[in-house]
Amino acid sequence: MSERDKIDKKSDERQEIADPSREEQLSLLQTITMEVAAASDLWSALDVVLRRVCEKTGWVLGQAWMPNQDGTVLDCGPVCFCSGEDGLTKFRVASEGSHFRPGVGLPGRVWQLKRSAWIEDVTQDPNFPRTKAATKVGLKAAVGIPILSGDEVIAVIEFFLQESRATNERLVKVIAAVAAQLGLVMERKRAVEELSRTNEILQSILSSMGDAVIVADKQGNFLLFNPAAERMFGKGATQTASSEWSHQYGLYLSDKVTPFPADQLPLTRSIRGEEVNNVEVFVRHDKAPQGLWTRINGRPLRGPDGELSGGVIVCRDITEIKKEEFFLFDQSRVLEMIGANASLSEVLTSLVLLMEGQADGLRCSILLLNRDGKHVRHGAAPNLPEAYVKAVDGAPIGPRNGSCGTAMYLRKQVVVKDVMTDPLWADYRKLAEICGLRACWSTPILSPHGDVLGSFAMYREETRGPQPEELRLTQIATHIAGIAIDRQRAQETLREREARISLAAESADLAFWVIYPEQNTAWMSDKGRAIYGFDSQLPLNRDLICGRVHPDERAAVHAAFDRACASIGLFESEHRLVLPYGRTRWVIARGRCLHDEHGNLLELIGVTIDVSAQKQADLQLQIQREEMSHFNRVALMGEMTASVAHELNQPLTAIANNASAARRFLQRGNIDPVLLQQLLQDMVADSQRAGEVIRGIRALVQKDKNVARSMLNLNTVIADTLRLVSSDIVLRESVVITEMDHGLPQVEAVPVQIQQVLLNLIMNALDAVQACPPAKRRIIISTRSLNGASAEVTVRDFGTGLPKDRPDKVFDHFFSTKQTGMGMGLTIVRSIIETHGGKISAENAPDRGARFFFHLPAVRGDSKSQAA
Amino acid sequence: MTSGEKSDAEIVCLVDDDLSVLKSIQRLLASDGLSVRGFNKPKEFLAHVQTHSVPVVILDIWMEEMSGLELQAQLSRLSPGTRVIIITGCDDPAAKLTALQHGVVAFFTKPFDDDQFLTAVRGALAIHPMNERAR
Repeated sequence: MSERDKIDKKSDERQEIADPSREEQLSLLQTITMEVAAASDLWSALDVVLRRVCEKTGWVLGQAWMPNQDGTVLDCGPVCFCSGEDGLTKFRVASEGSHFRPGVGLPGRVWQLKRSAWIEDVTQDPNFPRTKAATKVGLKAAVGIPILSGDEVIAVIEFFLQESRATNERLVKVIAAVAAQLGLVMERKRAVEELSRTNEILQSILSSMGDAVIVADKQGNFLLFNPAAERMFGKGATQTASSEWSHQYGLYLSDKVTPFPADQLPLTRSIRGEEVNNVEVFVRHDKAPQGLWTRINGRPLRGPDGELSGGVIVCRDITEIKKEEFFLFDQSRVLEMIGANASLSEVLTSLVLLMEGQADGLRCSILLLNRDGKHVRHGAAPNLPEAYVKAVDGAPIGPRNGSCGTAMYLRKQVVVKDVMTDPLWADYRKLAEICGLRACWSTPILSPHGDVLGSFAMYREETRGPQPEELRLTQIATHIAGIAIDRQRAQETLREREARISLAAESADLAFWVIYPEQNTAWMSDKGRAIYGFDSQLPLNRDLICGRVHPDERAAVHAAFDRACASIGLFESEHRLVLPYGRTRWVIARGRCLHDEHGNLLELIGVTIDVSAQKQADLQLQIQREEMSHFNRVALMGEMTASVAHELNQPLTAIANNASAARRFLQRGNIDPVLLQQLLQDMVADSQRAGEVIRGIRALVQKDKNVARSMLNLNTVIADTLRLVSSDIVLRESVVITEMDHGLPQVEAVPVQIQQVLLNLIMNALDAVQACPPAKRRIIISTRSLNGASAEVTVRDFGTGLPKDRPDKVFDHFFSTKQTGMGMGLTIVRSIIETHGGKISAENAPDRGARFFFHLPAVRGDSKSQAA
Repeated sequence: MTSGEKSDAEIVCLVDDDLSVLKSIQRLLASDGLSVRGFNKPKEFLAHVQTHSVPVVILDIWMEEMSGLELQAQLSRLSPGTRVIIITGCDDPAAKLTALQHGVVAFFTKPFDDDQFLTAVRGALAIHPMNERAR
């Protein structure tokens, strides 16, 4: 077939196809749609479209254009359809070299307008930059159709004919329909591509992420089990019922031994529809025999309809975090031990074990520096051989004394990477070899004041220096050890001090106590606890101590404490304690505040003395004294028999006689009314006189109920007393001479007691002068003022006198020169005088007899005294 | 308290330094119709006895100036015929013995029974030689 023929033939076909029947159009659409759907990407789909359209319509060339990356120009795509004429390739080449901006050329025009464009003859078209190439190959008619995805032009396809032709709407419509189909398909394809790309990303994330991600459907079948999950749980997804998961994957509760309850597993719960947050699960399996800690979050999965379809969990390995957490917890436990006053060796051993637990193959030890600052003592080394511990204990420190001895000596860290070669270890090399120690790094432990307390050492069996983690552990260990040792030393010092004071206090029968107001604690010696009735173990504080004070005095004691703490710094109080079971003690407590150099109150130290026995004795003595005094007065009465009887009998006689006389006068009926009046008056006067005598005696004999002092003139008291004993003086044929100083100052005293003093002295004097003949039985009682400051009374007799060696002996208990005397009188006299603030003494008079004199302080001349 | 109309032989003397007792005994004696002369001070009585005849004297023992016993001793020299009755405020056996040894006619401890006392005084008056002679 000639070229022309071919063209003609084609022309016929073209004619045929240029106006395809509806059925053909439909078949074309169907074919294209199917093929496009099957196409793997846009280009192959475009390839199908270009080819099929050209074949069916007889158009000779079909090309596709697509926007470049940044959407500024259209580039010619790699696919095209050429009818086979060689010349067309030239145009194709021209097209491939072209890039159209929006609106430029046929593709640009379609791109910009987003609709098809028909050119009857491209060679005549002003907006067809490829005219030259088209002319060369004889292309005339052209149609451009956009492929839209939504509103966006994703490609432009163009077809050419080698003859001019007018617009064929139907053809355009068919191609447009095809293009639209293509757009839809491409859109879908693109979405799928997008999805698969997202999926890829997701997959890559899931497989590279450190967190384990597991997805399971409603039935508990694993849909996803990422590599991290496989690593974490020791194996991949298995066909295991959810009830077996704990067993299968080694899931435990935080006690590390109890299998995790199946119904509480995070995945199970999330499948049930629960949100699971931060559940910690311990995992242990053959690939992780040490076990690991996971923190798991879970969420239920739901379909588009909201129905539960499964669950997803994300598990994070928190073993390191946990380890640090446990490490911190263990550290705080050691600190708590320190706080709870555990023994130092216990604390340090725990600390060493804690540090050793933080790294494999690590052994540690703590040495203490002796108080002499020159030798070391064993502190803690639970995992070092005993031989090593013994060898080191008591070793001196110095510039070449192993790692520890040198570290303490130099006050800085000493790192020995190899003990076999380091000169510091020259003396200990053999020992280290036996114990399998190769490296030793030691760091001094310092007190808060910078004193070396000891050293912390790490040992390895390989030669190397410390790693950063080990240095961090060392820092922590020395810090904690420093606290422990410093505290223990402080307590030791305190205990020693307390023990010393306690010893002193115990031997002195004192309670010793220290109150620490800041800490609200207190310490008390054993003796103190016994005095206060506290158990030896009971922790004390100020309130407990004050709680023992008698309720009536408690507020005052609290106030005294507060005053001591706040200002005066001294505490003193005498009060009662009420012990359990109601026992009462009298105590005297004295305390003093101690302050630090900044003036802050540190403690209140003090002593408490139990004065119960003394108080009791005082009370007893007072009672005894009163009894004796009373007895003395009763005895005096007995001695004054004559006076007492006489004093009473006189008025009684007078009364009786007067009464008898009156009766007789009345019987005789010659009574003078004036006489009767006088008689009755005398009877009244005498009965009053008798009453007074009785009152006077009673006052003397009564027990000292009323010991109120009053203002007295001693001259008056002497006169009254002499009247009381006047009969006895007469009876004993003695004479009492008084020489009173009328300027005698008043004294404040208990009248009966002063009378008792005088009676004793007078009766004694009367006894003393009995040995003399009646004419010489003289007693002189004189008073005088001692510069107005006191009143002195002297009772002087001319009797036998006092013991020559010690006249004062007469005041002693049970001393008596008399056959019948009790020897108590003068003792009581002295006690009375001294109670009144006075003084009494006795001496032998120069010529003969004894002289007793006492003085009492004069009342100061103020108005109050005068009024009293 | 003296009775001017009566002779010394009828007048009883009384010595007691306690004025109240002195008055009461005087009244008691008077109420029984006896004449009495009281002395508050022993020395006044001693002066009186030197100038008057005293048939009966009642003496108190415990007096500040002079004891009744001492007075009796002097009286026995001055007026041996005077009958003495002792009254005392203290029951003192030694004093009683001494008094009786020196021939007192009665010894009373104060306070005493009025009838016994008056009977004793009357008895003493009756046996006085002056009165015996008068009868």
